[in-house]
Order: sequence, then structure tokens, then C-alpha cells
Amino acid sequence: MPIHQGLHGDEVDFENIWGAIASAFREIHTKNASRLSYEELYRFAYRIVLKKKGEDLYLRVRQFEHEWLSNEVRGSIQALFSPNVLASPQSLGGTTTNERRVAGEKFMKGLKQAWGDHQVCMSMLADVLMYMDRVYCQDNRRPSIYTAAMMLFRDDILKTPTSDVEGRLVLDLLTHVILDQIQMERGGDVIDKHLIKSCVYMLEGLHEDDQESEELRLYTASFEVEYLETSRVFYRQEAELLLRESDAGGYCKHARRRIYEEEERCKSTLLEATSAKIQKVVEDELIKNRIHELVEMESGVRFMIDNERLEELNLIYDLNTRVDDKKTELTRAIQKRIVDMGTDANNAAIAASQAPATTADAGEKGKSPAQEKNINMQTVAAIRWVEDVLHLKDKFEKIWRDSFQSDNLLQTALTRSFADFINSPTFPRSSEYISLFIDENMKKGIKGKTEMEIDSVLEKAIVLLRYIQDKDLFERYYKKHLCRRLLMNKSISNEVEKQMISKMKIELGNNFTLKLEAMFKDMTISEELTSGFKHHVDGLGEKDPKRIELTINVLTSMTWPLETMGGTGDEEGKRPKCNFPTAIDKIKRGFEKYYNQKHSGRQLTWLANMGSADIKAVFPRVPSKDGSFKERRHDLNVSTYGMVILLLFNDLPAGQHLTFEEIQAQTNIPHSDLIRNLQSLAVAPKTRILIKEPMTKDVKPSDRFSFNEGFNGKFVKIKVGVVSSGNKVESDRERRETEKKNDDSRAFCIEAAIVRIMKQRKELPHQQLVLETLSQLATQFKPEVNMIKKRIESLIEREYLERIDGASLDSYRYLA
Amino acid sequence: MTCKTFHEIEAALAHEAQAISSGKLKEDNPLDVSDEFRKLCEACRRGDQKAVQELVSSGVNINARDRFDYTPLILASLCGHFDVIRLLLEHGALCERDTFQGERCLYNALNDRIRNLLLSYDYAKSTNPLQPLAAHITSLLSRSSPKTTDITITTYDETFHLHKFILAARSPYFARKLAAAPNTASWKLPHNIPSESLSVALQYLYFAEVSARSATYGLSDEEELIVLNGIEKISRQLEIERLFENITEISDRRLLRQQRTDELDRGRDQLDSWFRSNVVKNKITVNTDKVEKVQWDRENSIFADILLRADNDDADEVEKTEPSSKILPVRNTLGPLNAIPVGPVKSRSPSRHRAPRKSTLYPAHRAMLLRSEYFLTMFGSSFREAQATPHLQIVKLDCSPVVLETVLTFLYTEKADFGLEIAIEVLFAADQLFIEKLKQRAALIISSLGNGTSPTVQSDNSRGETDAEEVVDIYEVIRAGWDTRVQRLEEFGARYIAYRLEHYVDEPEFAELVQESAKRVKARQETDTVELVDDIRYYLTERFRLRFEDTGLDELMDENPQDAATNVTEEHLEVQNEDAYVPDIETQLAAGAIRTLDGEIVGDEFAQDAIDYQILLGKIEKLLDNLKLDA
Repeated sequence: MPIHQGLHGDEVDFENIWGAIASAFREIHTKNASRLSYEELYRFAYRIVLKKKGEDLYLRVRQFEHEWLSNEVRGSIQALFSPNVLASPQSLGGTTTNERRVAGEKFMKGLKQAWGDHQVCMSMLADVLMYMDRVYCQDNRRPSIYTAAMMLFRDDILKTPTSDVEGRLVLDLLTHVILDQIQMERGGDVIDKHLIKSCVYMLEGLHEDDQESEELRLYTASFEVEYLETSRVFYRQEAELLLRESDAGGYCKHARRRIYEEEERCKSTLLEATSAKIQKVVEDELIKNRIHELVEMESGVRFMIDNERLEELNLIYDLNTRVDDKKTELTRAIQKRIVDMGTDANNAAIAASQAPATTADAGEKGKSPAQEKNINMQTVAAIRWVEDVLHLKDKFEKIWRDSFQSDNLLQTALTRSFADFINSPTFPRSSEYISLFIDENMKKGIKGKTEMEIDSVLEKAIVLLRYIQDKDLFERYYKKHLCRRLLMNKSISNEVEKQMISKMKIELGNNFTLKLEAMFKDMTISEELTSGFKHHVDGLGEKDPKRIELTINVLTSMTWPLETMGGTGDEEGKRPKCNFPTAIDKIKRGFEKYYNQKHSGRQLTWLANMGSADIKAVFPRVPSKDGSFKERRHDLNVSTYGMVILLLFNDLPAGQHLTFEEIQAQTNIPHSDLIRNLQSLAVAPKTRILIKEPMTKDVKPSDRFSFNEGFNGKFVKIKVGVVSSGNKVESDRERRETEKKNDDSRAFCIEAAIVRIMKQRKELPHQQLVLETLSQLATQFKPEVNMIKKRIESLIEREYLERIDGASLDSYRYLA
Repeated sequence: MTCKTFHEIEAALAHEAQAISSGKLKEDNPLDVSDEFRKLCEACRRGDQKAVQELVSSGVNINARDRFDYTPLILASLCGHFDVIRLLLEHGALCERDTFQGERCLYNALNDRIRNLLLSYDYAKSTNPLQPLAAHITSLLSRSSPKTTDITITTYDETFHLHKFILAARSPYFARKLAAAPNTASWKLPHNIPSESLSVALQYLYFAEVSARSATYGLSDEEELIVLNGIEKISRQLEIERLFENITEISDRRLLRQQRTDELDRGRDQLDSWFRSNVVKNKITVNTDKVEKVQWDRENSIFADILLRADNDDADEVEKTEPSSKILPVRNTLGPLNAIPVGPVKSRSPSRHRAPRKSTLYPAHRAMLLRSEYFLTMFGSSFREAQATPHLQIVKLDCSPVVLETVLTFLYTEKADFGLEIAIEVLFAADQLFIEKLKQRAALIISSLGNGTSPTVQSDNSRGETDAEEVVDIYEVIRAGWDTRVQRLEEFGARYIAYRLEHYVDEPEFAELVQESAKRVKARQETDTVELVDDIRYYLTERFRLRFEDTGLDELMDENPQDAATNVTEEHLEVQNEDAYVPDIETQLAAGAIRTLDGEIVGDEFAQDAIDYQILLGKIEKLLDNLKLDA
């Protein structure tokens, strides 16, 4: 029976072979491997395994390694425990940092050496025992001999207690030493990163359990936890200290440096895998838990904004982004600052406009220069406000671009804050101010500017316009201002006006500019009409030397804000009809006839108060003050009313006079207009074409007027201005009117919206109807809920809607 | 996988025929009317594994077709011989979908098991059998450790570290040059040949797949021209004219594969002939005690860098007489272990005198040995074998010279054709050296040549008639299967024994084997059954059921034999107790009587089968009882 013989013989063989293997292993451990024959050792192991002695061999090898580590290696490690290594950070007593560092390095070097040797030897052992690994270990689900030996290193070296009283393990000591070294580096010392890294690799290569599970690496399970904890404590203290001792900018710089340092440390000294975790610790301690204090510091965000500390703002932005995607703290601080600064601008504007407003009432009675001055000041305040806001806008824009990396969330926040203070209920004038700003620029500001500059001015206006909530109010003001510019030819460039309109079109949509465009169209058509009419008159017959030339503007009553010109424009029937002199009346009728031929069915209403006339006046030879005695010819530019008044004096024999009442009776000019026109004709010193008796500034019904034969102007062309015809800030009374009108037109809009919605839905609960109405009107303005309620009431009264009886919620039904 | 419709296949077929007649494409299945091929077809029909293995080893084209357009694979799958099919497929029989013969083969498969087997060998998935060899040699180009290179070729901007023996084997130019000056350690290329060109040529020499496109990728037209010119020049100089043909782009998948197959075959043949005329030719046989004195200079004409030693197996030697200078007596018999005898058990007499022992040394190249993980580890370690010495190191291997030569042949050429007599030893050697493919090959040879499942045997032998010659020691095969963890051998052994159970069931070695099997199971603690016995039982039912089914007389199993069997079993047990009574079956068979195994005379053969079956089962039960095993 050869088998039995063989097995029997092997008992002896095994001990012999093992003896040979063991002595060979000892050679390997003492680095004499090059003399050993791989073939022979492999063959030994192979035979043992083939004869089913794999188990014995495996256990023997493990035992051998266990003894080797316990007897040879452990001692050399223990020799490295010097008091300096064992010193705990709590009892720093007698050791200096340097001593501790040197001792720690020595300890780590020893450990690294032992570990390196162990690895090399074990891989050689594994080579020799390859057959055992493949056959015995696999069949019996044993860890490979290499793995087993690594575990032995863990148990026999790292997990043995050090000799000190606390009974720490070598592993704990190692952790402690590494942490100590890192702490030294944080303090500015230079440490041996490579050495630590190799120790870290060792910890990473070993596992807490025997299954080699990923999450139980010694590094993760033991070192990393400790590392994160000590770092947390360290940074918590550091944050406290820094907040007390340095300013916000310095703090940010420091925090950022720390984050960078830790990242670098993970790369160079520890493992990349820790990077995210330690960053979180630093971020938590230095930023997340401190961001509020940091932002609110005296040298915090407010200080940085005011002093344009762009870099520091960037830092703080960067830090806040790390811990909070929404950047809540920073956003909050920025928004607050914007609203504060915006409110300051608002208040300044209100203060500027109110100071003269106290005297406004007195001025309105007739002291025109004073009133003029007041209104001018208000205009200045308005423009000043716009510029303030624009400046603010530029400032934050810059911060946003340079420091906040054009962050989207912050942009939204900025926009919201601007909208907030611009539309603040305590400051209702923004729409008007912006329109006024445009008006000012259109009339004066853009003179002599390049296209680029003009464009940027327009752009600014648009930017502000974006923030305006009540777009309809702005439209109303703009229309009014535009109307004045167009009719009085105040605009510098039609081109720029149109540019502005097209910009608004882009920004606010077609609907918004429809009426504005129609105004321009009217102007063009009027030009055509004028020339057409002139041609028509030319064709009528021989030239009449006395013929009066007519320039006419036909305005569509719906598109033009006529009420702003006529004063009582909205009451069509009451509009007083001025009695034109016959010559004028004739031409007027001629035009009406001509116009009706072209467009039948249209009614023309003459707005005498808006017109102007060029009159060639001849002043007879009368001795004047300067003694000259000759006939003087002047081209007088007067308002239509002025012309009508002056023409009265044409028919009057020299030296005769007319009383105020007479003039009023003959011309039927409205009282206030008449006063103003007479003022400019008889009171203003440069255009005193009439003489008033008595010579006072006020015009009273009893005053008498006569032709000033001795009038002597410096220029041939004289423009007789009529008081208060420019675009000025509205007085409070006017404002109330405007608002009232605005509310009226809003009422229509709201009603229209409600009807549109109800037509579609047929039935709808109250709450939802309100919501939908709000959302429909959002692009135009933000109606008050109260107003919507009133409109609904009104619609029910008019039987557009009815309440649904018995519905759980308040609901309405649409009545067709 | 999508199936092509009939007309698509026809179109492809017509296209293929055209390509073949125009000489572009080689026929996959050429007509073969030779006698050997006829025999192969015949064996496939019958399911005679042994004959198939022998004929395939002798070099019959396995993919040819006969006069009726049948290929051996189609015949075997049509007739349902699973093992023969597997054998054919393992030797490279083609069965590819979307080809006429391939689809035919699948369509003809007798059952789903065979169909699935065929599908699993679909060529589209399998690779060229020479690919592992080629891949290894290609990897040598970039392998830096352990160092195996012995010559450097430098161009003006690059240096290539290469192997002289590969250069010599593959390029006639290098063969001449290096024969003239074997010591050459470096070689300079004329500056007008760009590195890229040389690189392509070298890749070609090192069996990599080369193409002009990848070689000139990213180059401008001008540079491309220079590189191509360089390739042309260098291929002329190195006398590897086929290179240019190889790098031209071929879009057709089959043509490409064919070209690759041709190229690998040619390369292997070059390597093979070089191996034979250099390595094998230079083997030296010396007395074992003088083997340590053999010194081969590092600079030798065949560029060997290691000597492998195998000690001759000499019937005159006896291990015990060997001077044991080492702690362990060095094994000197065939096979890896002295305890497991290989081949017929040899008589060993301690008293015999010992003739001087011989050892054979084979010069070899580490580069090729690296294919074995054993050598890879050895040369990669820092042990003695990996050190550079002035004279070549001698590494002893644990096998006989003939086995060593087989192993080397496999490593150098991927060829593994050897006889049954050394198969077990090769199996152990391959296991020890971690050459998995060779191990599988050895197992395959054992199980197919070992005659275990041949239907011929089954039909002839169902009644337990002995083979004229016992080729293998079945106990040894089973143990080898266990030791080397080759499942196939255990199955083979179980079947082999099942078909001849009456022979083995009473032998003490058999009982011992069963015991061992039981222990194996216990060690693993998986189940309580004895694997070997289970297998034998399974094959036993297979053996007898075949008989019953063949004649369509199943009911015999159900009725008559049942009663008979119970009776017989009881009787049989009694008989067993009387050891003295041993029926002389041989004589009675010779006399022509139909008797059961225990000598009862029965009415017909079926009754005999039924009773035999029961008797054999009973014997196994008894055996297990005796061994105190539950199963």
C-alpha cells in the first residue's frame, strides 16, 4: 500500500521540511534571501500541501511570524519609546516641541522600517508559499498567508500596549505622534511629511477586522476619527481667538489659508480621501458656525461694501459659498445694505423736494419765479435721485461682478433689493423721477454726446425701469413728458426718442409702447397734413399777401394725454371755445373742410392753449427811451392765446385800451390762461408788448391794457414765453390728480382682466380669481387687493358676474 | 443574437463561394476523401472518443467535409455524442452562426444540451487557440521586469529592448546575423528608417496584430509616406516580406481572421522549428552527480539564459539509495510525488544496485518560461534563481525529462500532444507550475484516451467484461483528479468504475478510495454523502438504463426484475458471507450460459441486467456499511 507508506513517511518529513523552511524564513528575515533557492522552497511547500498538510504548514508559518514579530521586532519598536514620545499634549511639561518632534520622527522611522521589512519578507514568503495560497487557502477559505501576516503585524506590533501607565497601544501612540506633528506643522514648524505619509499608508493597508472590509481600515477606523476630532477642537479655539483679535478681512484670509493648508496636508501627508472630511470640519468650525458673527462684525460686510474692499468681499463670498449654497448670510447682509442705502437716497430726494414745498402753496398764488425755482429744485432732486440710484446700482454691480463671481443667486437678491427700495411705499415718486430723468436728458442732457454715451444713458434709464413695479404709472408720466417734448419741439433728437421707445419695447413689450409710437405717428401725419393743406391753399387762387400760414398737429385724443395740457381736458363739453379773430377763423374753417374731405366722420377739436404763432409786428415810430426814432419790426413768437389777444389790439385805434374783462369777453379765453398770457405779454420786462395799468405784477380783472408802441426788443426775433409750461415735478396736488387718474385707468384694466378670466373659467372661487388677476396684471402694475374687490363688486352690480349661492367658498359665476 | 433568414444565408453563401473560387478566401470546410478522414467521420458517428482523439492528434483536418457535405462536428451533433462534440470543439472545430455549415450544425443538434454547447463555442466569441501564446510574446515587448531581454536595437531617437531568440526564430536575417555573432548585444538601425517603422516590424515579429492605420495614426501624409517606406525597407532587410501584406487594411471580418490565423500558424511553426532545432537539440544528458558541474556560458549560440534540469526516471534507481544530502529526499520517480505511482506500478527493490543516475538539462529562455506563474514569481523574486550569474543557473524541475520537454513545447509553441503514458505526470507538473491550459489538456487526454465513456465500450462491456488491456490505473487517475482539483477526472473515474464495477467493487483499493472520498467530503463539511459513490451510482443507472431503453422493454424493469432483484439481493448477501464461494464467471461465460454475476442462470439477457444492477447496488451498500459510512 504505497499510499499509507507515503503518508506514514511524511510525518517525519514534515518536521524535517518545516525545519528547512523555517531556517530559510529566518534567512529571509535577515535579508539573506539571495542565497536561497526558490525552487527548493517552493517544492517543499508544494509537497506538504499536496500531502494534505496544508493546514499544518499554514499554522506553522503563522506561528513562526507571530514569534518573529513578538521576539525580534517588538523589542526594537519598544526601544524607541522615549519619554519625549510618550509625553501627552496635556502634560507638555518638560519637553520642548523640538524634542518631541525629533523623538516622534525617530519612533515613526523605526515603525516604518519594521513595517517595510515585514512587507518585503512577507511577499517573499508568499512567493514561496504560492501553491499553499492557491490550493490550501482557497479550498479552505483562509486568508492568504500575506494577508494573515499583515494581521499579525497589526496584532503583534500595533496592538500591543506601550509600557507607560496609561496602557496605550502602540497604535494609539502612533496616532498621537502623527497628530502632534501635524499640530506642529499648523503652528508653523517643518515636519517630515514623507515619513508620516508612509506611516499613514501602513495604517491604510491594515484592517481592524479579519475580513478586510473597506470601512474598517485602521486609518479610517482609528486614526481619521481622532484626527478629525482634534482638528475640530483646534479650529474651534482658533476661530474664537481670531474673531476677537482680527478684522473680518483678516479672518477670511486666514480661514481660506487654513482650508488650503488642510487640503495640501491631505495630499502630502495624509490621504486624499480625508480631504473632504477635514474640509468639512474646518468649514464647520471656521465658517459655518461663525459666518453670522463674521458678516456682522464691525469690519464685516457693511464695512467692506462702504470701503469697496472687493477682495475681502470675494473672500467672504468664497467662504460662504463653501458652507451654504444659498449664501444666506451674505445675501442677507448685502440686501440689507442695499435697502439702507437706497432708502437714504429716497429720503434725500424727499427732503430735497420737501424743503421748498412748504413755500409752494404761497408761490402757486402767482409768485411765478419763486414757484419756478421750487419746481426746478424738485426736478434737480429727481435727477439727483436717479443718479444716486444709478450710482448705487453701479457700485453693487461692480461688487457683484468682481467679488461675487457673477453669482446668479446674488444677482436675484440684488435685483430684489433694488426693486424693494425703489418701489417702497414710503417713496411713491420713482416712476415720475425716472421719466423726468429721461425727459431732462432728451431735452438737454444728450446735447453734444456721442452715440455711445447716449446709448449708455438710455441703458441706465432702462435698468431703472426694470425695477419699477407700477409700469402703468410710469407710462402715464412718460406720455405726458413725451407729449410736451413733441408738441413744443423740445426734443434734441427724434432719433434718440425713437431709440428709447424701441429699448422700452424690448424691455416691456409691444403693448407698453403702442401708444407712444402712435404719438410719433400722429406727428408725422400732421406734417403731411400741414404741407398738404399748404399745397391745397396754394391751389385755391392768387396769392394772398396777408395769408396766414397754418401748421397743424392733429392728435388722436385717445393716445395723447390731453388733460395734461388743457387742464380741464377730460371734460370735453366744458372746453371753452376760444373766439378766434376772423382771419384765423377763416383759415381754421378752411382746414376743417380740407380735413373732412380726407377723413370723413372725424371731429376736430382745436386746442388753442397748446398752439403758438409767429407774428410779424410793426412798431410805429415813437420816441423811445434811448432816443432812437424809427420803425421797428419784430418777429414775435407767442402762444395762440397770445396771438388772439394781440390781434385785438390790431383793430384798436392807438391810445385806446381794453380792460381785462373786455379781453376775456371778446376772446373767451379761460381765466387762468388769460392771466398767464397777459402776464407774459404785459408784465415780463423783455416781452412787454402791452402796457398794463396799473403797473403791478398781478393781473386783476379791473386792469386795463394798451399797446406798447414804444416796445424795443434787442433782437428781431422775440419769443414770448408763457409761464409754467415746462416738464417739472408735479406738485402734490397734481400728483394726487395723476394718481387718481392712474387709479381710474387701473380700474378698467382690472375689470378687463377679471372679465377675461371669468369668461374663460365660467366659475371661480374668490381667492383664485384674485390670484389670477394679480398674475395677469403683473407685467403692468401691482393692483391692491382692495381695489380688485371693489371692481368685482362693481362687475356684480353691472351683472357681469353673480355670486354662487351656497358654495363653500366665496365663488363667482360669469354671466354671458 | 439574430438569426439570418434563408435568403440572406443563401446570398452570403453565394458570395462566399465566389470569394473562394477567386482564391481570395480559403474554404472553411474543404472536401476530404482520405481514408483517415473517413475514419474520423465514422468515429464521430459512433461516438468513439478514443478514436476521435487519436485521429485528431494524428493531424486529420477537423473542419473538412465528406462527400455528403458532412463535417465531423455535424455528424457528432446529429448523433448526439456530447463528449465527442466537446472534444471536437476543444480542438478547434468551427461552428459559427450565420455560416451555412454552422447553422446546419446547430439545426441538426440532437438536443438542447448539445445545441447550447455548440453555441457556447461560437467562433465569434472564442478566440484563436494560439492567441494566448501570441499575447504573451507581444507582452514581452513592453515587459520590463523581470528582465529577459538580451539585445537592444537603437534608432536615432528610440531604443528597443528585445530577445535574440525571437528575432532569430522569426527573421531569417537575424537568424543568420546572430548565428554569425551570437554575442551581439546591440544593433543600430540606419538613420533613414524611422522608429515607427521599426516598431511596426517588431510588433509583427512579436506576434502582435499590426495595421498601417494604427502605425501611422496622427501623422501627416508626408510622415506617413516616410514611415511606410521605412516599413517596406525594413521588411526587406529582415526578410519578413509578409509584413507589408499584413499591415494593409482588410475590412472583411472573415478575411482578417483568416489572415490572422495564417500568420499565427506560420509564426508558431517558425517558433516550433526553432525550438526543436535549438532548445531540444541542445539538451544535454549527464550523470546526476556531475550535473552541478555543467557550466553554460551566458553568451551562448542559442541565447538561452537558464538551464532546466530534469532527472531521468530510471527503473534501476531506488529512492532510498540516493545519497540524501538534502533534508528531504529528492523525488526521483516519474510524477510529482513518490507516494503516487504513475503508470504501471513498478517493482521496487531496495537491494538493487543503482546505476549512475542521469539528468537532462534543457537550455531555455526565461522570456518563454514566464508563461508559467511559477517561473514568473521565481524570476521576479529576489531568490537565488533571479540573480544574474556569469554561468547559467540550473533550475531543477520536479519531473522526468520527457515531461519537461512536453512542458517546454507547450510554453514555446502551445502544442500539447502527448500520450496517455505521461499524461498524469504532465497533469501534476502543469499543476505545480500553474500552467492551467496544459493541465486541462492533460485531463482531456486522460479522460478521452482512457476509454472511460466510449459507447463502444459500453455496448461491449455492459456486462462487465474486462478490457484486454488496462491503460490507466483508475485509482491513480481519481486521486490525481482530486489532488489537482480537476473535476472532470473525478467524473471520468466514477464513470469508468461504474462501467466495470464488478471488477473493482471487491478490491480493497476500491474500499480505500471510497474512504478517501468520504474524508474529502468531511473535510469540506458540505454534505454527508460520499461524492464518488454518488457518481458511481449515477453512472451505474445510466449504464443499465441504456440497455433497457435500447430494447424498449422498460416494463421488465418494473415488474419481473423487481421481485427477482429483491430475492437476488438477499441471496447475494448470503453469498457474500461465504467467502469461499467465488463463481468462476469467465468459464461459465465461455460456456455460453447466461448467468448473473453471482452465477445464477437466468432466462434472458434483460433479466440478467436487472439482477446485475441490483447486485452491484447491493455490493456498494455493503461496502459503505463496512466502512461505516452513511450515504
